[in-house]
Amino acid sequence: MRNRRTICVAILVWLWVAPIGHAADSGPASPEKLFRLTRAVMCETIEGYEPNFEAVAFSINAGRISCYTAFEEVMATTFVSHKWYRHDELVSAKRLTIKSPKWATYSSIQLREADKGPWRVEIWDARNRIIKVLRFSVTD
Amino acid sequence: MNPLLSFLASIRWQDIVDVVFNSYILFRLYVIFRGTNVIRVLAGLALLWVFQRMTVALGLIVTSWAMQGIITGAALIIIIVFRNEIRNVLQAKNLRALLWGVPQKSSRTPIDALVEGVYELARKRIGALIVLPGKEGLEDAIQGGTPWGGLVSKEMLVSIFWNGNPVHDGAAVIQGDRVTSVGAILPLSTRDDLPQYYGTRHRAAAGLAERTDALVIVVSEERCKVVAVQNDTVTRVDDNLRLRQLLADHLGLGGQDTAGVRRERRELLVAAVISVLCMGSIWFSFAKGMETLTSIEVPLEYMNRDAKMQIVSTSVNTVRLHLSGSSALINTFRPDQVKAKLDLSKAIDGQNVFTLTAANIVVPPGLRLNRIEPPEVQVSLDLPQSKHLPVQVNWVGTLPAGLILESATVIPDQVMVAGPQRALDQIATLYTEKINLSELQGSGRLTVKLALNPADVKLAGDFKREVQVSYTIGKRKE
Repeated sequence: MRNRRTICVAILVWLWVAPIGHAADSGPASPEKLFRLTRAVMCETIEGYEPNFEAVAFSINAGRISCYTAFEEVMATTFVSHKWYRHDELVSAKRLTIKSPKWATYSSIQLREADKGPWRVEIWDARNRIIKVLRFSVTD
Repeated sequence: MNPLLSFLASIRWQDIVDVVFNSYILFRLYVIFRGTNVIRVLAGLALLWVFQRMTVALGLIVTSWAMQGIITGAALIIIIVFRNEIRNVLQAKNLRALLWGVPQKSSRTPIDALVEGVYELARKRIGALIVLPGKEGLEDAIQGGTPWGGLVSKEMLVSIFWNGNPVHDGAAVIQGDRVTSVGAILPLSTRDDLPQYYGTRHRAAAGLAERTDALVIVVSEERCKVVAVQNDTVTRVDDNLRLRQLLADHLGLGGQDTAGVRRERRELLVAAVISVLCMGSIWFSFAKGMETLTSIEVPLEYMNRDAKMQIVSTSVNTVRLHLSGSSALINTFRPDQVKAKLDLSKAIDGQNVFTLTAANIVVPPGLRLNRIEPPEVQVSLDLPQSKHLPVQVNWVGTLPAGLILESATVIPDQVMVAGPQRALDQIATLYTEKINLSELQGSGRLTVKLALNPADVKLAGDFKREVQVSYTIGKRKE
C-alpha cells in the first residue's frame, strides 16, 4: 500500500515536471545549448584561421577587413549569420556553417572609398537571435 | 439670381453701419452749419468732387488732375477763410448739441411787439432800419455794429432809434426774440430804379436785401411811412396787419405756429435723405465699383495642435488666395490683413488630409474669397516615443604609422532617446561626434558629445549628451 502511494506520487510528480521539460526542449534554446561563442573580433587579415591586426578602426587602405568568430561546444552542425551594416544600413549578410565540436569561421568585405564611416557586424544564430555585435569604423 | 437680389444679398451689416454712420456725420455737419456760408461752400466743394469723379470716369486725365488740385486747395482755403465762423459754431455748442441736438433756427420772434414798435416809431417820426435775417448769414454783408442782446419790445425799439441814442444811426439786427446787434452798417444799393425820395436808409435796406435773403424794414423819418424790402422787392406797408403777415411769412410763423415747425422738420428730413443718398453713392462707388481680382500668397498657420503631438511634415506652408473686390479695397488692403488658419484640434496621429474652405481664411471686410490653392493640405503628425539606442564611436582620420586602435569602450554604451516615432524607426545607433585618430598618440580617455541626428530626436531620462570613450592604441606587429 505504501509502495503504491509512493508510485502514485512519483507518477504525479513526473506528469507535472515532464511538460515543463518538454516545453523547454521545444522552445527557443539558449545559444549555449547550441554552441558557445568564444571569440568575435574584427581584423585586417586571417592567417591559418587566426585573426591578424585586430582593431576597432580600419584604414580604407587596408583593402579588406574580416569578422572572425570562434565557437566551442557546438552541439550539432548549424549556422550563424554575419550581417554587416554601415550607418544602420545593411550592406552584406553571410551565412556561415559551424560544426561540432568546435569551429572557427569568418566573413570579409572589400573596402571601397565610399565605405568610410561607422560600421557594425551583427552575429546571429540559426534561431534568428543576435549573439554579438561588433562595432568599428572605416577611416581614411 | 436676379441681379438686384444678388446685390442685396451681398450687403453685409458692416456696410449698413458704414453708410448710416457717415450719413449721420454728414447730416450733423449740415445741422450744425446750416444758415452759415460754410454749408454753401461745402455744397460747392461736393459738386466739384462729383465733377472730378466724372472726369476720372471719362478718362480726362489733365482735367481730373486739375480738379483734384482745386479740391485740395479749396478744402484748405475754406478752413482758413471760414475759421471764425467754424470756431463760433463749435464754441457755441456743447458736445450734446454737436452730436445729437437739433438747434432751433431761432427763438420765436415776438411779431406783435415788433409791429407795435415799428408803428410807434413811425408815429413818433423816428427813422429806423430793422434787419431780420433769413437762412443766410449776414457776416459778410454788414459791417460794424454793436452787440446788444436785448429782448425785442416796443420800448426797446423806440429807445434804440431815439435820436439821442449814439447807435440810432445804423441798423438793428433781430434774431429770434432778441436784438443782437445795433448801429450796423449795411451796403448801399446801386439800383437806379428806386424812387428819388428814398434816402440813404432805403438804399441801405435795398443793398442788404439784394445780397442776402434778409427782410429789412425801413421807417421813414420824414414821411412816417413803413417799407419792407426783401430781395429786389420794395413793399410799402400801410397797415400793421400787412406788416404782421410779411413778418410771419418771413419768419416761418405764417399764421400757424406749427407750420414753421413742420417746415423745419421737412427740411431736416430732406437733409437726412440727401445725406443717406450721398453716402450710399460714395459707398457704392468705393465698395462695389470697378470689380478687381487679385491673388496673394499667405503663410498657412497650423493651430490648436495636441501638445503631445509633433508636426512631422506638411504638404504646403503657404497658400495662394484669389480675392475679388472693388479696386479701391484691393489697392488699399495690406497682406497682413489676410490670414489662413488650419485647426488641428481634430487631427490624429499619422497622415491627415484637410480641405481648405472660406472658414479657414480671414479677409478684410468687403473682399471676397474666390479660390484657394491648393484646396487640400496634408499634415503628418506624430506622437513622440522613447527608445534605447546603443552608442557607437565615430572614428575618422588615420593613426600615425605603426599604430593600431585595438579596442574602445564607451560609457554609457547605450542611452534613451525620445522623438517622433518615424524618426526613431529610422535609427538603430546613436553615434558620437567624429573623433580624429590623427590627433591620438597613445591609449587614453576622452569626452565626446553625441551627434543627435535627426534634430527632432532628443536625449531622454537622465542621460547627458557627453559620453566617455576609453581606447587602447597598440603598435602594429608586422
